[in-house]
Amino acid sequence: MILEALAEFLTLGELGGVIVNGLAKSALYVMIASGLTLIFGLMGVLNFAHGSLTMVGAYLGGLLMVVTVTGGTAPITRLGLFFIAIVVVFALLTVLGGAIETTIIRPLYDRPPIYQILLTFGLTLVIEEIVRIVLGIYDLQPLSDWQAALATKPQFLREPVALGPVSAGWLSLFQILLGTITVVSIWAFLTKTRYGLYIRAGSEDTEMASALGIDVRQVFTVVFALGIGLAGAAGTLLMWDPTWGASVPLAAETLLPAFIVVIVGGLGTFRGTVVAALVVGMADAVTTWWFQNVIEFTGLPELVLFLVLVVTLIVRPQGLFGVEEVGGH
Amino acid sequence: MYHTLLNSPVSAETQMLLPTVETMVGVLYFGLFAISFDFISGYTGYLSFGHAVFYGTGAYTVILIANGKLPLLGPGTPFMLSLLVGGLIAIALAILVGLVSFRLSGVYFAMITLGFAQVFYVFVRGWDYVATNPRDGPAVGPSHAEGFQIGAPGIDQLSLSIGVLTGDEVALLGSTLSGTEVSYYMIGLVVLVCYFAMQRVIHSPFGRVMIAVRENEERAVAIGYNTYLYKLGAFAISGFFAAVAGGLFAGFKRSASPENSFYFLVTGDALLASIIGGFGTLAGSLYGHLFDETVREFLSKAGQGGGLLPYLRALLGQETLDATLVGETTIGGLIDLLLNGHASLYVGLVFVLFVLYVPDGLLGTLRARVGGTFADALPAKLWGDSE
Amino acid sequence: MSLLELDGVHTYYGDSHILEGVDLSVEAGEVVALAGRNGVGKTTTLRTILQLTPPREGSITFRDESLVGLETHEVASRGVGWIPEDRRIFGQLTVEENLRAAIPDPDDVASGLQLAFDSFPILEERRGQDAGTLSGGQQQMLAIARGLVGDNDLLLVDEPSEGLAPQIVADVAEALSKASEDMTMLLVEQNLPLALDLADRFYILDKGRVVDDGDTAAVTADDERFRRYLSA
Repeated sequence: MILEALAEFLTLGELGGVIVNGLAKSALYVMIASGLTLIFGLMGVLNFAHGSLTMVGAYLGGLLMVVTVTGGTAPITRLGLFFIAIVVVFALLTVLGGAIETTIIRPLYDRPPIYQILLTFGLTLVIEEIVRIVLGIYDLQPLSDWQAALATKPQFLREPVALGPVSAGWLSLFQILLGTITVVSIWAFLTKTRYGLYIRAGSEDTEMASALGIDVRQVFTVVFALGIGLAGAAGTLLMWDPTWGASVPLAAETLLPAFIVVIVGGLGTFRGTVVAALVVGMADAVTTWWFQNVIEFTGLPELVLFLVLVVTLIVRPQGLFGVEEVGGH
Repeated sequence: MYHTLLNSPVSAETQMLLPTVETMVGVLYFGLFAISFDFISGYTGYLSFGHAVFYGTGAYTVILIANGKLPLLGPGTPFMLSLLVGGLIAIALAILVGLVSFRLSGVYFAMITLGFAQVFYVFVRGWDYVATNPRDGPAVGPSHAEGFQIGAPGIDQLSLSIGVLTGDEVALLGSTLSGTEVSYYMIGLVVLVCYFAMQRVIHSPFGRVMIAVRENEERAVAIGYNTYLYKLGAFAISGFFAAVAGGLFAGFKRSASPENSFYFLVTGDALLASIIGGFGTLAGSLYGHLFDETVREFLSKAGQGGGLLPYLRALLGQETLDATLVGETTIGGLIDLLLNGHASLYVGLVFVLFVLYVPDGLLGTLRARVGGTFADALPAKLWGDSE
Repeated sequence: MSLLELDGVHTYYGDSHILEGVDLSVEAGEVVALAGRNGVGKTTTLRTILQLTPPREGSITFRDESLVGLETHEVASRGVGWIPEDRRIFGQLTVEENLRAAIPDPDDVASGLQLAFDSFPILEERRGQDAGTLSGGQQQMLAIARGLVGDNDLLLVDEPSEGLAPQIVADVAEALSKASEDMTMLLVEQNLPLALDLADRFYILDKGRVVDDGDTAAVTADDERFRRYLSA
């Protein structure tokens, strides 16, 4: 049976579908993980609140779409509004991130790193409850996906598209597009701008960077803010994906894969995060196929993600592209 | 005591402020779990973020044995033995996880233990051997209808059953203790014994090496300690007591779910307790969890325990509650909105404030005030320093 | 008034008292060597000036302006450059990016790079290469170049010859000597002949205090004054 399944798995149509799915999943993973990796790389702060802010981004993005889209809105307009929503959410959460960094993260730089984990963990509790209170006002169910937000998705994104023998979802292609845009933008920002140069210098050696006249504290604030902005933008993208959707548990659902991607790639290296997102996304897509077609075990894809983490940490503790010491602290 | 207060003139305030006995039972067993978490994390500095896996192991072991699903151990196995078996399984698990994880440190250690715990969480959630619906988790079945007994196994006179419905009632000095109250004392007994056992370890030479690892592991290695073995040992001990705590939880509640045993937020609650109580103080974790539960219940829905919400409702009266503030919002609606079931918000805020301003926690700060543990400082205060 | 002046500076690492009242001054245009055994506080003195390890007591003035209490990047942007022990180049950045990070004004990038490449032609050859792949000597050149392009008036140079082959040391010395023509320097250097060769004046530091000072013209490396404080 396994052999038959393997033969089926290796047909062009099935394998192609898995690859497209894998790329789409990778795109989502890279979006939820890149903010986390930027923040850790520079500041050595493992931000536990990252998933919660992704969840906030999902709701904010959903809100923007729900108030602007009506039943008669044309698909192309919906897409346009969606891009505007992503940009607006990114901007709003960037501001929020800056505020969080300056008020409560900053006092903790002189303490052992464990306190930053603790603080951001506390932050998740606070954010989740605030979201629940707000949802309560509007009578929305915190635990189930926000259907009205899902309904703003244009019809064609629900439909499959044939790419030769491969059948893929339009949504997957859309996610791959957005993931690619994100990766290219971050890469360009890091390597082509003066600020990106400061970030990379600061990630290697904060002391030396400040001795060259770089205001590292300010760079910290900017990176934290941008990282949170990215978390929010990722949330907006997930809001349209029925397997994720805007809901309160989205926080934990995204936080754990984001941690896995960041650690597998090597804490704080953007390149590592991109490669790890590809590895994890593909592993996820492959195991999902096997689970759906051959092995009946619901937890299989999740299990495989964590096994990838455990195996990586055993074989190469610093991650695929990690260096022994991170953040210059 | 609780009943005396309830019958007193301040009964409304009592009901509002004090947690119910049932909540207090939870404080005890979960407090023990938080203490075991503090034992490894607070004393060696290795944040065991997957600690819930041991708690879950203990809980599931008790239920599986009671349902006759563990080989060699029938449903009639004494509860005390089940606790021990759960603890031993946890030790084995801790050694397996620790062998790999202690090759790493810092954030990496926290993450790999979290990774292991999530693997088990996902696994038990999908494994239909443990329960008909593994997502909801197992419950004690009809093969073990009677309550779980704490005491000397096999000697009925020295054992009492625990549980809200299944606990023994005991007549004592003219008043009757309910099943829940008996559970409180019996579980309290086990927790106390476990606490003293861990405290002994901390104050032994072994414990001093654990603290040396936290303060400066390189130096501990340089002095000649094999810190790897010490950390592994501490992890195993901590896992054992976490499993006992989980077993007590399952014994009292008679059911468990992946969400309230194996899930990483369960570890989060223990973390919350030990930070608020005082990281690296052992006993502080119990107080921290008491604080956490008190706030939660104080702010929770009506419940039997009362809390702020019903109290405010009764105090303000229907008219005030219906008074409108802005537009459609009434005072009652606002109170409902801000308080009803949102205790996590306030607990989270308190937690954040503690991390920022009281990093030593309740007990740690108090100890710093009196200059040592209370056992040492109190006699000195009372009878003067004899130095 | 001196360009840089330290007066009664006390610095601690946690509870250990490292600098116990350091007094020294550097005049504009001078090269001043700071000598002393390992662990007497030479590197700490430089770190204290940069406010990387702020002093607990005493005053530090640069161009008559107090540096105490400023952030490190503020000290740097007032014209104090640092060429640290172990060079601390950014290994994952290219040679050119290392230099760019050191040039404060974006408009000066072209001229700054030109200055660095003129001084060290090898850096131009390697400009696109990750700095971590350079040899030790080339990394030292890069660290010095970073100090030169940073629009600095004072360079704090820490052990520039440490761990380098003798031939490379000569190159580094030549580069520093050339740089000192229009740059003030405070130089920490174990290689005493090299230090005396480069410097106009010297201070000897022992147990966190200045114990001797003088003109380098009047002494040689085997002078009794050095032997007392420098030989192990």
